[in-house]
Amino acid sequence: MSEVISVVSRNGAFQKTMIMEEFSSDESEDDYNMTGSEDEEEGEEGAEKSSSKPTSKKSSKNIDSELMTPGELITSDPIWMRGHGTYFLENDTYSSVAGRVSKVNKLLSVIPLKSRYAPETGDHVVGRIAEVSNKRWKVDIGGKQHAILMLGSVNLPGGILRRKSESDELQMRSFLKEGDLLNAEVQSLFQDGAASLHTRSLKYGKLRNGQFCQVPNSLIVRSKNHTHNLPGNVTVVLGVNGYIWLRMTSSMDLARDAPPGGSTQVSGGEASGRAAGPTGAVSLNPNASLSITRLEEESSWKIYSDENDASITNQLKQTISRYANIIKALAFCEVGITHERIVLGYEASLAYSDVGALIQRDNMEALGADVLNAERMRGNAE
Amino acid sequence: MTLSVAEKSYLYDSLASTPSVRPDGRHQHQFRPIEIYTDFLPSSNGSSRIIASDGSECIVSVKAKVVDHSLDSDLLQVEIDIAGERDDSLITESCTSLFNKVLRSIDTKKLQLTKKYSFKLFIDVLVLSSNSYPVSLISFGIYSALNSTALPKLVSNFDDLEVEELPMFHDYDLVPLEVNAPLVFVLAVVKNNIFIDPAANESEVANNGLIVSWSDGKVIAPIRTIALNETNTKGFNPQLIQQGIKLVDQYAEEIAKALTNL
Amino acid sequence: MSQFEVYSPEGLRMDGRRWNELRRFETSINTHSHAADGSSYLEQGNNKIITLVKGPTEPALRSQLDQTKATLSISVNVTKFSKFERSKSTGNTKNERRILEMQTALVRTFEKNLMLNLYPRTIIDIEIHVLQQDGGILGSLINGITLACIDAGIAMYDYISGVSIGLYDTTPLLDVNSLEEAAMSCVTLGVVGKSEKLSLLQVEDKIPLDRLENVLAIGIAGAHRIRDLMDTALRAHAEKRVLNASKR
Repeated sequence: MSEVISVVSRNGAFQKTMIMEEFSSDESEDDYNMTGSEDEEEGEEGAEKSSSKPTSKKSSKNIDSELMTPGELITSDPIWMRGHGTYFLENDTYSSVAGRVSKVNKLLSVIPLKSRYAPETGDHVVGRIAEVSNKRWKVDIGGKQHAILMLGSVNLPGGILRRKSESDELQMRSFLKEGDLLNAEVQSLFQDGAASLHTRSLKYGKLRNGQFCQVPNSLIVRSKNHTHNLPGNVTVVLGVNGYIWLRMTSSMDLARDAPPGGSTQVSGGEASGRAAGPTGAVSLNPNASLSITRLEEESSWKIYSDENDASITNQLKQTISRYANIIKALAFCEVGITHERIVLGYEASLAYSDVGALIQRDNMEALGADVLNAERMRGNAE
Repeated sequence: MTLSVAEKSYLYDSLASTPSVRPDGRHQHQFRPIEIYTDFLPSSNGSSRIIASDGSECIVSVKAKVVDHSLDSDLLQVEIDIAGERDDSLITESCTSLFNKVLRSIDTKKLQLTKKYSFKLFIDVLVLSSNSYPVSLISFGIYSALNSTALPKLVSNFDDLEVEELPMFHDYDLVPLEVNAPLVFVLAVVKNNIFIDPAANESEVANNGLIVSWSDGKVIAPIRTIALNETNTKGFNPQLIQQGIKLVDQYAEEIAKALTNL
Repeated sequence: MSQFEVYSPEGLRMDGRRWNELRRFETSINTHSHAADGSSYLEQGNNKIITLVKGPTEPALRSQLDQTKATLSISVNVTKFSKFERSKSTGNTKNERRILEMQTALVRTFEKNLMLNLYPRTIIDIEIHVLQQDGGILGSLINGITLACIDAGIAMYDYISGVSIGLYDTTPLLDVNSLEEAAMSCVTLGVVGKSEKLSLLQVEDKIPLDRLENVLAIGIAGAHRIRDLMDTALRAHAEKRVLNASKR
């Protein structure tokens, strides 16, 4: 294979795989004659459809986790509450999307196979400022609508107890402007489903010192923690919305991972490459766990700085590129992206000394397979 | 594509440093992988579909028509349609004019049927989606479409100056069109470094862009500069043009081979 | 059978089908996962259509913002190379009257079927590229949009399947191709799921009123068949996705 470019090609076809098994013409020789329709007598599909031919032969089957397509009858049982992905007509509940049925207590919903990110309260997301308007920022989080970040929901320079003033409204762009990336938590949802965000914790805020990449949101699983320190002095922020930020590990990141009491087992290599906190402030004692008293010094203007730390070496950038490629490879294989898998992927990727080789399709597939294999092996060992 | 200031400076510093680091770890001369499908439109003489790894996609159709070449000497005509852009938008018009120029390097003798008549090729390009400047995608598309083009076989006489008759063709035999289609490369200049096939985020921080055309083993005109973004564009060292041409000279052959190897 | 005979006495059409047979119907779903939220590629006979659904997403213009429901926009791009003879028009094909009419008909059809009220203050942008056309194009567009919208996860009441029926003398011909379309009066239907409800009925030529019922009956039966074909394709696609997901 050429090192310059890799090409997958096929002649006489529009795409890689054949569309689907061909429907031979004799199959469509069903009787279209409306007069003599002698279809098997099946269960009626609700009053609305009684006049038509029966649609589904599955009405008697167990509907749990079964695949539904739009317009399909889910149940005629009125005890269910109707959730997302369903609609209701004359006592019958139908599916409105293609997906799996989910039943939680009495709530019946159909979860679509794929859709845009739907925010939930408590989600850790990565977003990009799309618009600055009156006392609020609009943030693109890959959802149906932009999320709202109120001026009152961010930490402003000068400490946590500082009062917001009118001058803050006028200089909103000096904190966050169009294009800026930040991580935040979904604080609440508006009536129409739009998210309201906040960054009132030191783990949230403007993002620096790294690189952005994006994967389908379905590949990110909600978990307790979405910020992980990775081997090679890199930290990843896995936004639930599929937006991912890879950055140089900061002292803050290390402090977060350190066990309470301050005793850290940081290897020499990592310690030397360590830089200031993600928010820009340099702590004299990076191993100390975070204390409330430091909040004030952290909340200086530096938390909205656009400058990257000068200490990012080329080697570290290579490592960040490597992680970006690993994440893209996992997404390419449609494998869910977790902290463990990224680390496994990193270990497997070390077989390729050339980071650029990881963008080739074969290598991405091999990497995905390696990760799943390694996971299976470890699972057995434990 | 809007990037944050911090992202931009991170990318710029990585690309400007020596040795440079590209955000996806590629070499300076390395392309992103592509997929090519050809010959899927039975009603066209040739067709191709190119998909880049970032989802950029372009579809090309080649249709031939018999014309009297003494009346219509323009035997190659390119029309480009970029989804989401108006037909008279700057990018569409500049791409169209670029390719109409670039394709002049093709020897139209190959299209001649008889002393009077020639095939005229209508090359229609549809860019379905593009994340970065689409000309190299389009040129790969045109290249593979022309390579997959087959034209009806002539059965009447070549010399038809005396006889008043239209060319006649074989009922089903086709002759593959053999032309040396040109390729067009986009290069991004960042400080003193130059990169082939810039991705969207690389284009966003590039100081300038360079379009280099190549055909049949050598770099050809037109060579142009383009602004890949609105904020970072500035002048650059002319030696970089030399460097860019050298880069294309060195690797274009291999790419042409990869594209023809269907 | 002579070359120009639309329907032979033996009951065969030009392409060898019988009066009640559909053309080859093949489709794949989620073909452009990078470029759009939902996508489909459809081959119905020689019609080849790419449909991209973008959204629901924040509208770019304030004028597209509706406080109560999503704005639906459909644009149809019929490529110049889509017909056997390349279209000669030099001007803007996107504003041709026929295409504008088609867009309006499609918006009207899907406005009622998609649950737009679930996505207030957003826009759903549907972009269609016709790579090749061979009759009954409007019906094929409907099928492509239905599949792409399902892929995008947009809530809808039911499938809508589209098909064109021609009337040759007294015989209705299902799913006409371009030659048949040019030779006789045609009706295009959009049928809601497995019901006998029509969400679209387009009659552009003269048609005897007493024959219309028969034509509609054939059309509805054919549309139901298309719905089943789409459903099968969708389920096959979904199984594959679920299989992938089980690896997670």
